[in-house]
Amino acid sequence: MSQTIVIAHLYPREMNIYGDMGNIITLAKRLEWRGYRAEVRQLEIGEAFDWAAVDLVFGGGGQDSGQLAVGVDLLRHGAQIRDMAKAGVPMLVICGLYQLFGREFVTAPGEVIPGIGVFGATTRAGSVRMIGNVVAKNDGLGTLVGFENHSGATKLDDGQQPLAKASKGSGNNPKGGYEGAVTGEAIGTYLHGPVLPKNPQLADKLLLAALKRRYGVQELEPLDSSFEQAAAKVAATRPR
Amino acid sequence: MNVTLTLLASKTVAHLSQMLGRGGGGALPGVVAEKLDRHLSGKLAAGLSGGVIVVTGTNGKTTTTKLIGEMLAARGMKVVTNSSGSNLKRGVTSALIAAADMGGKMKATVGLFEVDEASLRLVAPEIKPTQIIVTNLFRDQLDRYGELDTTAKLIGEGIAATSAELYLNADDPLVASLAKYAQKAEDVHYFGIEGVPVNPVGEHQTAIDSDRCPECHTRLEFSRVFYGHVGHYRCPKGDFSRPVGEVVITNVETADRMGSRFVAAIRGKRSTYNFPLPGTYNLYNALAAISLGAGIGVGVELMQQTLAATMAAFGRVERVEIEGRTLVLLLIKNPAGFTQVLQTFVIGREAVRAMFVINDLAADGRDVSWLWDVPIEALAGSNPTVLTAGIRGTDMALRLHYAGVESRPAASVAEGIDALVAATPVGETSYILPTYTAMLEVRKLLQSRSKTMQEMPR
Repeated sequence: MSQTIVIAHLYPREMNIYGDMGNIITLAKRLEWRGYRAEVRQLEIGEAFDWAAVDLVFGGGGQDSGQLAVGVDLLRHGAQIRDMAKAGVPMLVICGLYQLFGREFVTAPGEVIPGIGVFGATTRAGSVRMIGNVVAKNDGLGTLVGFENHSGATKLDDGQQPLAKASKGSGNNPKGGYEGAVTGEAIGTYLHGPVLPKNPQLADKLLLAALKRRYGVQELEPLDSSFEQAAAKVAATRPR
Repeated sequence: MNVTLTLLASKTVAHLSQMLGRGGGGALPGVVAEKLDRHLSGKLAAGLSGGVIVVTGTNGKTTTTKLIGEMLAARGMKVVTNSSGSNLKRGVTSALIAAADMGGKMKATVGLFEVDEASLRLVAPEIKPTQIIVTNLFRDQLDRYGELDTTAKLIGEGIAATSAELYLNADDPLVASLAKYAQKAEDVHYFGIEGVPVNPVGEHQTAIDSDRCPECHTRLEFSRVFYGHVGHYRCPKGDFSRPVGEVVITNVETADRMGSRFVAAIRGKRSTYNFPLPGTYNLYNALAAISLGAGIGVGVELMQQTLAATMAAFGRVERVEIEGRTLVLLLIKNPAGFTQVLQTFVIGREAVRAMFVINDLAADGRDVSWLWDVPIEALAGSNPTVLTAGIRGTDMALRLHYAGVESRPAASVAEGIDALVAATPVGETSYILPTYTAMLEVRKLLQSRSKTMQEMPR
C-alpha cells in the first residue's frame, strides 16, 4: 500500500478560475510519479471537514460573486487553519483565497470582509486591474513565473515576509515590488498560470513539507523537468 | 466634420492600405474615421432601413453571424457585415464605411454585425441595433474583461442603451438573465435545446463557469447539462429558472463528425433541418440563427435550404485537402470551445493525429492558463500522434505531459504541418487546433499547399 498525501482543495466550485485546477493536477502527478498516492478532498460551502487527515491545503482564485460566499464560510474553519499553519502544514493559496487568508479584505464601497489571518496582510479593492505576465525571484526557490489578474491591492504588515520580489509585473499592489506572502510553510500568491506546473520547485517544496510531516521523508526523488523548464523559459520572455 | 469629408479620408486610408498590400485595411478606416467623427457609425447605420442585427457572446458569434447572413442573402437582402477579426467598434465602423457611398448613402439595407462582448456598450448606442442575439457566456480571454459577471454587466449596459428585440440562449443561465436589461419584456425571445445526445468526457470535468443563480447566487440545480453550464437548470430557492423557448430543438436525429440532422419547433411547429457543421456548440449556432430568422419573418423552407448548404466559417471546422489527406482546422479560444472540439472530433477516435498551435498575442488572450481547464486527459491511452507549436507550444506540451499524453514539439508551424501530413495515410483525416492568431498563420501556410483552399474566399 503506497503512502498517501491528503490534499484539501478549498471551495473548488467557486474558486477555480484561470486554470488553478492545474495546480491540483501538478501536485497529484508529482506524487504519483514518485510512487505516492494523492487523495484530493474538496471543501464545500456549509459542509463539515475532517482537517486532522489533511497534509496539504490548496485554494485558488474565483469570481467576485463566489468569493463573497466563500469568505463567509471560510471563517468557520479559520481557527483550525491558523493552527495547522502554525503546526507547519504546507499551504498554497492564490489570488482570491490569498486575500481571504489575510487579515481583511475591504470592498470598493468600504465593506470589511474579515479574513482568517494566516498572513499579516490587508487587501483593498482597487480600480487598477493588474494583469499580465509576472517574473519574480525568491532566494530559495529562484525565479518564479506566472500570470497575475487582480484589482485587489494587498499590503503586507511590517514583519510579514513576502514570497518573492517581482522584476516584471505588479505583484501584491500597483506600486510593484513584492509578490505574495510566506508564513512558515504557508504561501500566498497572485500567480496564476497556473503557478505550479511551470514552477515545479515550488510544487516540490510543498510536497516535501507534507511528506516530511506525515512520513518523515527527508528528500524527494528528482524528476525529469524538461517540459516544465521549457515552458517556464518561454513564459519568462513574454511581454508584461 | 461632415460625413462626406470623414468618408473621403477613411476611404482613402482603406485604398492606400490595399495598394500597400495590407488588404482592405481591416479596422484602419474605422480608426481614422472615429478620430474625425466618433458618431460616424451611427450616422451611417441610420440609413439601414431594414434594421441592424448584432450577435454577441463568447462562442459562436462568427458562425451564427455567417448563418444569418446567408439567410438574408437568400432572401435577396443587401447586407453590410464585418469580419470576425474586426468585431470591435472600429471594425463595425470600417464595415459601414466600405458599404457607404461618398455622400454617406448606404449600398446595403440591413446591418449584421458580430460585436465583441465588451464593445457592445460602445457600439450599441451608436448603431442602435434592432435585434441583439446573445449566444453564450464562457470564460474567454478574461485578462481583457476581468470576470464573467463583469462581462455580463457590460453586455447588459449595451442592451439597456437600445430598444432592440433580444434573442437569448435560454440554456445559459447568465445569458437568460440578461432579459432584465430589455426595455420591454415582450421584446425578449428565448431559444433552447430540449434534447441532444451527450458524449461524456470522462472523470475530469471542465470547470463550470457559471452555475449560480443570477438573482440570489444559490447554486443552480441542473436536470440536464449539454456542455459546461449550458443545460436545463433551476434555482432551488425559486428565484430563477430556465425560461421557455419560443424556438427549440426538440430532438437530434443523427449527429456525427459530418454534421447533424435535427428537429426544431418554432412556437410549436416542427421542421427537420440538415446541418453540416458538427457538434453541440454548432447546434446552438444554428438554433440562434433560426430563432432570429423566425423573428424577422424568414420562411422555414428558406432556413432549411440555407443551413443545409452552409460551409464552416473561417478556420472553424475548415477542411483542407493536401496531397490526398484531409486536414481539419478547429479554432480554439477558450476551455468551453476547446472541450467541445475535443468531444466532437478527437475523443474516442482510433489513431488520432493532431497538432496544437498555441499563441499568446493580444487576439489570443495573453494568459494561457485556460489550457489547464480543458479535460485533455481524455486523449491519454489512445496513443495519439500529437505535435505542439506556436509561441506557447511549450505550455501545451507541459499540459499534455501532465495529462499523460506524449507529444513532440514541432520546430516551427510549417515543420509541424509537414510532419502531420507525413503521419497521415492517404485518404485519412488529421486535425490542427490553433488559437486565433495561430489559425491565421496556419491558414497562410496551408494556402500555399492546397488547391482547394486557395479558392476559398476569406
